[in-house]
Amino acid sequence: MSKPASMTRDSVMRGGAASTIHDLGYRRYDGPRDGARGAFRTLFWQGFRTMFGVGRPWKSKAVPVFVVVVSMLPSLASVVAVGASQGQIPLQYAGVYAAQLVLFLLFSAAQAPEMLSRDQQHRVLPLILTRNVTRTSYALARLAAMFTAMFLVCLAPLLVLYLGEIGVAKVPSETFADMGGKIGPVLLMATLAAMVYSTVSAALASCTPRRAYATASIIGLFLVSTAIALGLRDLAAVPNEVNELIDPLRALGTLAMVLFGETTRGMELNPPPPVAAFIAVFVIIAAGATTVLVWRMRRVTV
Amino acid sequence: MVGKPDARRGVGPVPRVTSLRPAFLRPPVPIALPLTPVSLPDRSTLIAAQALTRRYGAVTALDALTVTIAPGITGLVGANGAGKSTFVKILLGIVEPSGGSAEVMGRHVVTEREEIRALVGYMPEHDCLPPDMSATEFVSFMARCSGLPATAARERAAEVLRHVGLFEERYRPMGGYSTGMAQRVKLAQALVHDPRLLILDEPTNGLDPAGRDEMLALISRTGREFGISVLVSSHLLGELERVCDRIVLIEQGRLLREAQVGALTSETGTIVIELDAEAFAVNAFTARLSARGLLVQVERQRVLVEIPDGSNADAVRDVYDAVRDAAHAADVGLLRLERRRGHLADLFAAAAS
Repeated sequence: MSKPASMTRDSVMRGGAASTIHDLGYRRYDGPRDGARGAFRTLFWQGFRTMFGVGRPWKSKAVPVFVVVVSMLPSLASVVAVGASQGQIPLQYAGVYAAQLVLFLLFSAAQAPEMLSRDQQHRVLPLILTRNVTRTSYALARLAAMFTAMFLVCLAPLLVLYLGEIGVAKVPSETFADMGGKIGPVLLMATLAAMVYSTVSAALASCTPRRAYATASIIGLFLVSTAIALGLRDLAAVPNEVNELIDPLRALGTLAMVLFGETTRGMELNPPPPVAAFIAVFVIIAAGATTVLVWRMRRVTV
Repeated sequence: MVGKPDARRGVGPVPRVTSLRPAFLRPPVPIALPLTPVSLPDRSTLIAAQALTRRYGAVTALDALTVTIAPGITGLVGANGAGKSTFVKILLGIVEPSGGSAEVMGRHVVTEREEIRALVGYMPEHDCLPPDMSATEFVSFMARCSGLPATAARERAAEVLRHVGLFEERYRPMGGYSTGMAQRVKLAQALVHDPRLLILDEPTNGLDPAGRDEMLALISRTGREFGISVLVSSHLLGELERVCDRIVLIEQGRLLREAQVGALTSETGTIVIELDAEAFAVNAFTARLSARGLLVQVERQRVLVEIPDGSNADAVRDVYDAVRDAAHAADVGLLRLERRRGHLADLFAAAAS
């Protein structure tokens, strides 16, 4: 492998016309360096691609493909049904969406460790952190990638419903004028859902180099909070407005009902908390989880 | 060692007897290469540590280590747990010192950490290669983490991988690599952003003797031809002796000894002679030397001659003359004639005890 460079360079200096392959020796790099910003972008894009298993073996693509496909199916089915009924049945955004919240949890729990635990598992983290990357910027780049991916996944089924509703209407242009305002709730819903999933999953995944533990703890946390909410309602008779907010999955479902102006019998009897309360709780969860993530990345031994 | 034959291995005033070897067996003639000038902020000091201390709970990994390291290839030697890795990690800014201070190329390891990182390449001791990534992907990802733009990162990755001797294999997932290949990828990722200082933590760990030689050759080439300073840690003194200009020995977090390899392995008062002769001729040869009052010892094919006063150049020349005359008289062929050199291990053993 290591031909003495002195000999090869000598032959180059003498012309080396006979050979076509030259070992030019080591060359310095004095081109541009994007510094910390370039490194942040790299970590973001690499993370974003990892979330969907792009550039990874097919095994890594299984969960993302499954979740994206399966979460779109009910939306497509609803759009087809509404189209077939010639607009007789109204499109139920929240009804369709509530069922998909568990799928999003699956995606988030499976993919967050791919990004955050893997670097610790394979001990790549020391290499990354000795480059133009600080511990905090690593945490934030990964979180941004996680959030962006989750946002697209959470948005896709709603967007299918939204575009579908316009598409199957008798006069799409008229419907579009009516529907203009509905894009707000669609975007807000996807943003809040992505925010809760990505921050909580990233925080838990960063705490362990073992991917299976990370996945289990993410799903576990959401399920435990569901159990706690149920227990508090049955045993401690916590008021519904508060109880509604303890369980993130249920809170996201209820918020969808509120945002899309849909309702159930239960909601009529026990009016849900105002939208601002949901947003406040989600922001607190996200801020707390982000703090944990940054704290953990600043302390992790490499 | 490939590359330039070391001047420090030369044999003082007497030329090495190599004329019996055919020309192609002789070491390559050194060629003065126009080296790229090294632009270090401070050329005289590469690393300076002042009372550097690091404690992990009750364990003191570094105990007021004070050392200054000049550019070139420096070996960091110590037993396992002597504090080598801790020292290296403090220099890299991934471990904070509990006390004292350290500078790399005139930049403080805590306050000017970001600047140091652009100048330093790090090859860790442990495995650090994701098994399902290819070497090309991994090394260019690392280049981009150092802020190189995408195209430049790909080009640099291809270049350094070729450099460390990884060719077609670089497109395969790294999970299937041998230890030797993995070590090369680790070296490549440390070189990819063109650092001014390479920090290599136990780079020959787990390699077979051939792989070890190749890795040492690469390190020596990096240090001497690419103009990159190298700090290489190892618990094996013997292999550092072969590539380093300087050795820093630490023990229990303290500096035990620091010296030039040349000075440490300086010539001893013994001449080693290898002969091409029958046993009776060898006996005649040694008898003639003994008759001159020299202390002679026969060691299998070799004859060792003590020089009475090694520091006196005239006395040394007299001994060489005596050997020449004796060889002529006894009609023996001289295959090798050189001053025996000291071994670092002996010196460090003396320092440690």
